[in-house]
Amino acid sequence: MPAVLSEPVRSHFPTTVNTSTAGRPDFISIQNFSFFYGAKQALFDISLDIPERQVTAFIGPSGCGKSTLLRNLNRMNELIDGISHSGDIIIHDHSIYDPLIEVISLRKRVGMVFQKSNPFPKSIYENVVYPLRVAGQNAKNVLDETVERSLKGAALWDEAKDRLHESALSLSGGQMQRLCIARAIANRPEILLMDEPCSALDPIATVKVEELIQELKSEFTIVIVTHNMQQATRCSDKTAFFYLGKLIEFDVTSKIFSNPAQKQTEDYITGRFG
Amino acid sequence: MMTLFIKSGGVLVITAVLGIFFFILFQIWPLFMPAQVSELKTVSLPNHSFSLLGVDEWGARPFLVEPDGRMLTVDYETGAVSEVPIDFGEPLQIVSAALNKREQMIIVGTADGRFAIVAPGYESEESDGRQVVTIHPSAEKVTPIGLPGVPILDIAYGDSGSSKLVVALQANGNNRQVSAAIFERKRSLMGQGKEEAVGVFDLTSLIPGRASKVLVPGTGDSVIVVTEDGKVSYLLLEDEEFKLIQTFAPFEDIPGAHIQAATFIFGDVSICFASDSGANRVFSLYYPKGGAERFFGKTHDFPSLGTMPSFLISTLRNKAFLLGGGSELSLRYSTTESIRWEGKMPYNVVNAAISGKYHRLVVLDSTNKLHFFKIDDPHADSSLKALFSKIWYEGAPEPKWEWQSTGGSDDFEPKFSLVPLIFGTFKGTFYAMLFALPIALLAALYTSQFLDPRFRSIVKPTMEIMASLPSVVLGFLGAIYIAPIIEKEIPSFILLAVGLPLVAAITGFFWSRLPIRYRKLIHPGWEWIVFVPLLLVSSWIFFQLGSVLEAIAFVVTDPATGQKTADFGAWWTATTGNSFDQRNSVVVGFMMGFAIIPIIFTIADDALSNIPAQLITASMACGASRWQTAVRVVLPTASPGIFSAIMIGLGRAVGETMIVVMATGNTPITEWNIFSGMRTLSANIAVELPEAPHHSTLYRTLFLGALVLFVFTFVFNTFAEILRHRLRERFKTI
Repeated sequence: MPAVLSEPVRSHFPTTVNTSTAGRPDFISIQNFSFFYGAKQALFDISLDIPERQVTAFIGPSGCGKSTLLRNLNRMNELIDGISHSGDIIIHDHSIYDPLIEVISLRKRVGMVFQKSNPFPKSIYENVVYPLRVAGQNAKNVLDETVERSLKGAALWDEAKDRLHESALSLSGGQMQRLCIARAIANRPEILLMDEPCSALDPIATVKVEELIQELKSEFTIVIVTHNMQQATRCSDKTAFFYLGKLIEFDVTSKIFSNPAQKQTEDYITGRFG
Repeated sequence: MMTLFIKSGGVLVITAVLGIFFFILFQIWPLFMPAQVSELKTVSLPNHSFSLLGVDEWGARPFLVEPDGRMLTVDYETGAVSEVPIDFGEPLQIVSAALNKREQMIIVGTADGRFAIVAPGYESEESDGRQVVTIHPSAEKVTPIGLPGVPILDIAYGDSGSSKLVVALQANGNNRQVSAAIFERKRSLMGQGKEEAVGVFDLTSLIPGRASKVLVPGTGDSVIVVTEDGKVSYLLLEDEEFKLIQTFAPFEDIPGAHIQAATFIFGDVSICFASDSGANRVFSLYYPKGGAERFFGKTHDFPSLGTMPSFLISTLRNKAFLLGGGSELSLRYSTTESIRWEGKMPYNVVNAAISGKYHRLVVLDSTNKLHFFKIDDPHADSSLKALFSKIWYEGAPEPKWEWQSTGGSDDFEPKFSLVPLIFGTFKGTFYAMLFALPIALLAALYTSQFLDPRFRSIVKPTMEIMASLPSVVLGFLGAIYIAPIIEKEIPSFILLAVGLPLVAAITGFFWSRLPIRYRKLIHPGWEWIVFVPLLLVSSWIFFQLGSVLEAIAFVVTDPATGQKTADFGAWWTATTGNSFDQRNSVVVGFMMGFAIIPIIFTIADDALSNIPAQLITASMACGASRWQTAVRVVLPTASPGIFSAIMIGLGRAVGETMIVVMATGNTPITEWNIFSGMRTLSANIAVELPEAPHHSTLYRTLFLGALVLFVFTFVFNTFAEILRHRLRERFKTI
């Protein structure tokens, strides 16, 4: 395959240089964002600032739009036909909808972990280095180093280091999800999107992933969609509650769960609906 | 209930397939069977000495010539022995005799240097539902030849129809004299013509050695003289003069070998020799490569009989011959170098004759008993070697694989090598796949991964309709319309084959380098709107440039006139030495490609489309482009399905019949030359079946071709299935 075809990127999404330790409170700034699947409106005028290097949880009942919003942060929704949006999403002062940037360069900066683990039918090693390979990085020492760093980062190194060249499908469900996390952080993105990463996992695997999220937030800005309110309380710093495509409430997690400002939020977290 | 129904259906299908398989096996089995020879009857003869044994074409009434000019005949049905006098007009003492097989005539040489030709005069009639063969010999005039009054040791003659060549061997003191005489039949208005000697030759001076045996082919245009030192001289009659063409020693590598027996094989192009030790070889006349004159060369070597041969006779039906000596009988087949049958008799064999129908054998033993045998050998010319190995056919300068089932003359030998057909099958498949695979797979990759779903829903059914085009239509179109165009426009097609992928790649390159603001103008999945017109325009340009390329690159100079012509066909023949036919592999590749592209495309497209969406999103989320996703994730994951698509396409190409029958020219050749045709196994069956008599060798060989085809598909599919399972295991998804 000619390199020209694998590297069609012309206009890159600007890379952030981490200087402060505190991080910006408006690292991701969602501004009056509405989103439509064809004629059906899925998100209504959402404005939200997601802080840098913290965990932000999106909660809400099914169909509330939390996943749709998450998938807009790396423009994954564009794989679907007939979508449109209004408003804007700014990551570190740059609009992700800038017509002159390649969506691919955005996705290289925003890693994503899906609800169902989706390893490629390749070896563990090849799964982890996939983002590097598609970026044209084939130097063995870089790849080896990335595999070790990413698997350690995803707390999978000890279990997988002796079987790196075995099929990824030989791993257990929890291991596979951690492998997907390792893959998502392999190319050192700044933001990690997690779409219900533990919903298909058993409790022990869930605990491991949650611990992992706590470790990863020192390095990545994490946005996690979850159904599980305990999970949101355990691992997030801020929580946004969505209902029927609208942002109902957004605040520090402890505040949302102990003293919500909105009645709908309170009804949801106390289990009266959802 | 339902499972029972399904089960019995499955069992029925397996039974049917096995049934077909066994039927085919049953049909081809006789091809590999040796001859069956069984003794029918023994008749005791009076204790005379005989100079010749012959038999009629039905094997019902053998005759023996006695030295006093009488003929002893035996009726097979009754076992009755009777004596029939031959009317020579005078008492004769016969000292030598020979058969002219082609004419079914006898020639006898006398003790006083004369010869006479005798017609056995067989008559066959049905009486009481059984065949009765009677013999009424009649002799032509007794004519002197060679040295007057000297006994004739050996005699032979050939009849070209207008003239006869008679050759006699006599003792001349301590030397041997070989004399030849040519007789022409002068037709007069008053009935039967008179024969006149028009030339008399003394060949002795031409022969290096002491002659011991003479042979004349049925055509009467040459003489073969065997000498006592084990050499053979080949003399050719040209412009009414004999010339020594060649002297050779058939057993030169065996010290002290003498030629014990020699006979022409049916067709009179090959001579079979047997040495005194039983060694057995066949020499054939052929033009050596580049030679202008025919010479005898060793073409077949048989295992030794193991004992001194007493006779060597050939048949009138095929290239078989019978070698006998001591108590051994060995029925052999010249062309295929095979021993059809061997027998050890409880008596010593002296002479034998085989009926013209090659179904009965009479053997005379040393106690003057005549043994009748039945020969059952319907496929004498067939063997594993004849079907799959290189065979040195008569007249050919070297052994080769050849298929030629029918010829113009009676002594034509059918050539049944399956190798050119197997080769043709592979050649046709290869060129078809060469054309179809890249197009079908790339098209499937494009439609499934890049094309907007709205267009995909149009493209796919269209391709599926294309798959249902009857192949006879494609073949007809290929032969009548496409072949002449391709023949004329080869340079254009070369430009297209090289140019179009190049244009596509260059366009892709510049497209991907285009700033995003322009690329955004075309919605993903709609790129073909830019691409297709570009390809059409460049196709047209390349096609027009074809004649320009031809005028520049493919020019031949006529050596006679010095005139230069731009013609690809002539250039190809002059440059590569290979032929250039109108019905060639390009046409087949193109038309058969049309037949298999839709099949491969549809199955591959299904396989590529069924890749779990989560894998594609995972790849996209990793920052991969659509192309990277397609090549690195979709293609490997879909590889088992794509592999199936290729194998199904391959199976179709291997078994495809109508297109190859109509568009290949059906020449059974074994060369990869892209501008020559081929004959495939399937086409061969279609072409030859109307000319194959029931249960003939050709008929059974066609069945064998079918079996080979069956085995190919079976092996291909089994292999493919194993590989597909491995791939599926490797690229399974959760």
